[in-house]
Amino acid sequence: MSFFLPVLLRNLFQGPSTEAFPFAEAYTPAAMRARVSFNPDSCALCRVCARMCPAGAIQLEKRPDGLEFILWHNACVFCGLCVHYCDSEALHQTDDWHLSHLQAEKYAMVEKAVVKFQKCSTCGKQKMPAPLPLMAKLYPGLPADEIERLRAMCPQCRKAESAPVQGETP
Amino acid sequence: MNAIKPSLASRLSTKSPWLYRINAGSCNGCDVELATTAIIPRYDVERLGCQYCGSPKHADIVLITGPLTARVKDKVLRLFDEIPEPKVTVAVGVCPISGGVFRESYAIAGPLDKYIPIDVNIPGCPPRPQAIIEGIAKAIAVWQSRI
Repeated sequence: MSFFLPVLLRNLFQGPSTEAFPFAEAYTPAAMRARVSFNPDSCALCRVCARMCPAGAIQLEKRPDGLEFILWHNACVFCGLCVHYCDSEALHQTDDWHLSHLQAEKYAMVEKAVVKFQKCSTCGKQKMPAPLPLMAKLYPGLPADEIERLRAMCPQCRKAESAPVQGETP
Repeated sequence: MNAIKPSLASRLSTKSPWLYRINAGSCNGCDVELATTAIIPRYDVERLGCQYCGSPKHADIVLITGPLTARVKDKVLRLFDEIPEPKVTVAVGVCPISGGVFRESYAIAGPLDKYIPIDVNIPGCPPRPQAIIEGIAKAIAVWQSRI
């Protein structure tokens, strides 16, 4: 009795412990690992995400002007390996867990975007994109306009620019 | 305007579908989440009028977890046939939907929709209890349109 009374009193003031969820918003932790989102502007097309994905949810398919990133949410296991290994910060894990859907939408549950190849500003050859987050990591301390200039070049021109052969003018 | 009026019993029964779980070779992650959804007062799926039942003959909404392993396939299909129509099938977790991390394994006969008509998918590995409640709410809407 002496044990039960405090529990009774506490329950009287605390109210129900059931979440109101389908009829109200549910509590979502800030660090919730759910739907993966993709930002094509930051992708370097390194394919490490597709290689790391244990469920094979990520594919990069050839398109005439680039590669198409395709992530099927119905295969993603929210492990976060793609986000962890994405050096260019193109992949992020959001806290959106509202993924249940009717069977008709099964194959529409995809995150996809075409990442286009670019032209080198110096030699004009087609090149992979060099996204800003990755270049900022590669050239720490360089001014922003200098990083923008190097970003627009292909790897060969960038190499010649940042480490000129002795005797040649840069 | 001579529509047949549904009987009182059938009108009331639309408010209380019974749930039945089939484990098609699941790792038990989704089964734990299903048990959590039903048993723990914090989530309490019975607020939606649902109740887990022990017999396939009593079931209205079937929750299937697991990637449908080759060993369990025939048993799952036999059990599924025992469930009376109309029924609503819900695939819980990424495994029954696509195979998840077991996709294209020699031991997997799935994905499940090759053999069983699925109505609602709840992806996740495992889906959180709120996501399961959301999916069951969608399944109840499908079931009410069918009865």
